[in-house]
Amino acid sequence: MRNLSDQEIIDSVRKGNDSDYSIIVNRYKNKAFSMLKRMLKNEFESEEVLQDCFLKVYNSLNTFKGEAKFSTWFYRIVYNTALTRLSSQKRKTETEMTSVEDHFNLESEYRSDEIEKKDVNQLIHDTISKLPERYSAVITMFYLNEMRIEEISEVMGISVSNVKVMLHRSRNSLRDLILNSRLAKELI
Amino acid sequence: MIQITDEILNKYLDGELSREDTEQVKSALLNSDEIRRKFSALKLVHTKLSSLKEDEVSPSFTQNLMIQIIKKSSVPRQQKYFIVSVATFITLLCLVIFGFSISAVISATPSSIGDSKSVFDSFSNLSEGLVKSIKQLFSGAGLSIICSIFSIIVLISGYFFFEMQKRAKASLSNGQQL
Repeated sequence: MRNLSDQEIIDSVRKGNDSDYSIIVNRYKNKAFSMLKRMLKNEFESEEVLQDCFLKVYNSLNTFKGEAKFSTWFYRIVYNTALTRLSSQKRKTETEMTSVEDHFNLESEYRSDEIEKKDVNQLIHDTISKLPERYSAVITMFYLNEMRIEEISEVMGISVSNVKVMLHRSRNSLRDLILNSRLAKELI
Repeated sequence: MIQITDEILNKYLDGELSREDTEQVKSALLNSDEIRRKFSALKLVHTKLSSLKEDEVSPSFTQNLMIQIIKKSSVPRQQKYFIVSVATFITLLCLVIFGFSISAVISATPSSIGDSKSVFDSFSNLSEGLVKSIKQLFSGAGLSIICSIFSIIVLISGYFFFEMQKRAKASLSNGQQL
């Protein structure tokens, strides 16, 4: 069977073939879940929010005009729902911060002996979750969902240069973490 | 000569620098251990991030979601069928009453329409006859029959409507529990 495009599946769902929506769900569920898990830092809650997002998308399918890519529209809903959930829980969110100029120090998240015990893959995997929500969202969208910077800026509603700043800052923090550990001697 | 900052190294990694700047970064990488060390670590981070694996949702995620969606979409459909069937029934009833009135008028006005009277007169005769027969229908026993029929329709509709609302609520709460 030929690989149907998102638009073809949406058209079919709009015609009343509700079961075709499962193709969209299967196509995006893990990518969106990875993003939510890193933003919300909680697996159970992420799955709950993901379910809400898919229901929201289904109910709003008629308002999707196809001007932007479906994936961009979908991830915008996921991203905004995650931010709403974070702010409703009164967690420390990036939305409360003034701009991308805010600083974060990943090294303060670890004790020095903790870093020494980890291997580089595990360290990077764990550290993305320790990044502020918007930064981990950028990393996930760029590397895991293989989205272009322009698309990410559309999803997050910020400028392309701000997305780049966030991407570079996240990479630099991870790099500094590696450089200041014993891993630097082994790997570089 | 550009200053080799973290930003420049990131741009070099992403291939966003001009040809001239790229050459300068290349030469800086050859001449400075510190810059080379920083760039190697940055490249390592980039490589590791590029090989990140997706997290997986629970295996029953899609199935549970689709159950919710199908249940939710079936509720408005049921309501639509219900409204359409009630509207059809009432329309049919009105048509029957109207048809009965017309037939009563036609049988009550014999050949007067065919005479030399004007179209206006025959129209007024027809409307008078219609009003008369409707009056007959809505007076005494006729009115009580019509009221009884409407009351029964309202009662049956009310019962089915509340039953449907109850079922819809139950299915929604089941869906939320899933």
